[in-house]
Amino acid sequence: MDLHLTSEQALLRDSAAKFIEASGPKVARGFRAQGSSFAPARLREAGELGWLGILVPDSAAGLGLGLTELALVLQQAGRGLVCEPIEFAAISAAALAQGRTPHPMLEQVIAGAALVVPALQESGYGDDPLAPRTKAMGTDGALRVTGQKVFICADGADGFLVSASGRDGPVLCYVARNASGCALSTTQTVEGRKLATLSLADTPADLIPPHPASRNAVDALHNLALLAVSAELLGVMERALEVTLDYLRIRKQFGKLIGSFQALQHQATNMYVRVEATRSLVFQTAANNDPYCIDPALAVAVKAKASENALAVTEACIQLHGAIGFTDEHDIGLYLKRAMLLSSLFGNAAAQRRRYVEIAGLTA
Amino acid sequence: MFRRDTPAEAELRIEVRTWLEANLPAALRGRTVRPPPAELMPWYQTLSRKGWIAPHWPRQYGGMGATLNEQIIITEELARIGAPHLPVQGLNHIGPILMEFATEAQKAKHLPPIIAGTVIWAQGYSEPGAGSDLASLSTRATLDGDRFIVKGQKIWTTWAHHSDWMFALVRTDPQAQPRHAGISFLLIDLHSPGIRIRPIKTIAGDDEFAEVFFDDVTVPAENLVGKLHDGWRIANALLGHERLSTSNPQFALMALERIKTMARASGIIEDPAFQDRLAAASINVTALSAMFSHAVELTNNKQSLGPEASMTKIFGSELLQALNELLIEAAGGHASAENPIATNFGEVDVAASFLQSRRVTIYGGSSEIQRNVLARRVLNLPN
Repeated sequence: MDLHLTSEQALLRDSAAKFIEASGPKVARGFRAQGSSFAPARLREAGELGWLGILVPDSAAGLGLGLTELALVLQQAGRGLVCEPIEFAAISAAALAQGRTPHPMLEQVIAGAALVVPALQESGYGDDPLAPRTKAMGTDGALRVTGQKVFICADGADGFLVSASGRDGPVLCYVARNASGCALSTTQTVEGRKLATLSLADTPADLIPPHPASRNAVDALHNLALLAVSAELLGVMERALEVTLDYLRIRKQFGKLIGSFQALQHQATNMYVRVEATRSLVFQTAANNDPYCIDPALAVAVKAKASENALAVTEACIQLHGAIGFTDEHDIGLYLKRAMLLSSLFGNAAAQRRRYVEIAGLTA
Repeated sequence: MFRRDTPAEAELRIEVRTWLEANLPAALRGRTVRPPPAELMPWYQTLSRKGWIAPHWPRQYGGMGATLNEQIIITEELARIGAPHLPVQGLNHIGPILMEFATEAQKAKHLPPIIAGTVIWAQGYSEPGAGSDLASLSTRATLDGDRFIVKGQKIWTTWAHHSDWMFALVRTDPQAQPRHAGISFLLIDLHSPGIRIRPIKTIAGDDEFAEVFFDDVTVPAENLVGKLHDGWRIANALLGHERLSTSNPQFALMALERIKTMARASGIIEDPAFQDRLAAASINVTALSAMFSHAVELTNNKQSLGPEASMTKIFGSELLQALNELLIEAAGGHASAENPIATNFGEVDVAASFLQSRRVTIYGGSSEIQRNVLARRVLNLPN
């Protein structure tokens, strides 16, 4: 279903669609072999277009827009398999901007000149994001964190937004990449992006206070991350389905276009229903929530469904391509791999469902 | 969850809720199967006297002229209190069709009794040989001067045995190609000589539908709606709106509550494997709410849904079935009990609800037909 957008929102979507013309599978493929997993100049370009400060208020030199606009840009980023960490920069900028005085890194992050990314996860499964094992000691001005964070898209990062347990509950801290006691170890993923483990040993940090509208800074950033990644997953599965439908319209077997076979048509409609359910979830959630206080049950539901659907759709895309879909040479596999990465970030579908039982009070 | 009432809408919601609490007889609440006309029609007429029987009809025809949001609020409040399903063939199908395609005389004759609840309508589309392939229907209407002679058979006709009138698709040109070009839209008085109606018992134990036999039934030519051979277009003109109303998530939300009640009663609620499935189902209900809210937003802004409505029908109906599958799983050994199950948390209707849900992916165009429509008309896949 089409989205009901204002003319400004449609323009933003169109300019993001134009931006990704210079990205796409060929470019994403190129980063697999390189040391860096994205082009810093392209991140600055996204900064010049205002997207990294999309949620940041005008008063702090951002665009002061909402979740719908964020989702529109990130959906396009997903469609284009964009490697530049627009999603992480944009949500980190929102967090850096939320205090009474913005964090000093904000200006550079908005410009794309520096990169700050969230570091919220601590294990592969079963994290309670509001009860991190990483500890924050001391007070602002002399704050130190100790612990370990995992599954961070840390390539090119100058700093991290780390969740830690303070004296009165979870707190969000800014940690500079070059701070003492801060160590990164990086692993290659199946695609161009890399994942890192961040070790912190009595590392100095700055406290990021919560936005006045949010209950807690960690909760707010986590929910925002869930929605942001879901919007990107929507773009990934949507584009993969389009590529596959194109193939069904040209590939012939038994003297007929294979898209005329009912078994394949019904498979394609199942994929379409998954894409549309995700689209409605992402954009209805975006339209009805504010960036700093997204309903947690909704954020979790959206990420659960987007993760499940992106994998199901891109898996089926491989199937409908047949043997050519299983080759490294064909682009369709890149969408599956991006879906594998994004659907696992901040908790996969199973992890979200487990949280949902608690948050939505299903057993109460 | 997604849609929020405006202050005026919230006021209407409270008004409807309060009035329903005071006026809907207890015996009619929470019935899985539609009560027979003797029980149900007085309630229909009560709603009619209140002026709420046809929220979606324009005021000039006795409706409320309500906005889409107001219509949804009334639907949700009726569902919330467990109001019985009314016969909707008049209100939702033939009524709107007559408003769009009928002569003034036809409207004057047929619309007021629908509002008043003094006439019940049946939809005569399906035939033994024409189910999913509806255009192959063969019930013949031969024009003979100022009357049609109708011969043939309709089946799966909801409430035919309780109905006074039928709106039917009939074949008026057996040679027409394509076949749907030879179909006309006819109003048939079910009390006419030559009509025999036989109720059909369903797997859920009710006799909601029937088969109708026409043996040279005389129908005045003035009962033709629109032009001769133009019935297919008329029948299909309003399908999008119907599919939107059937995807209201209120029914799924209520099914979810039944599952939770049953699962608490049986103890399976403590099982992590069941919890995972319950979470998945509940998240899918959220997705349905999002789709519905999205579709309402588009409709309110005059962006038409068209064949994409097939998607909400597939998602909504298959979800309702999945929820009922979870319900009988939650019920464990009680799954096959014919009567509602008494629990510490109230009575839960399990088997009847589950069996009823098997029909939703069949009526109104089966899921497979909806998928064909989507593949051709939305995904543009080749023939």
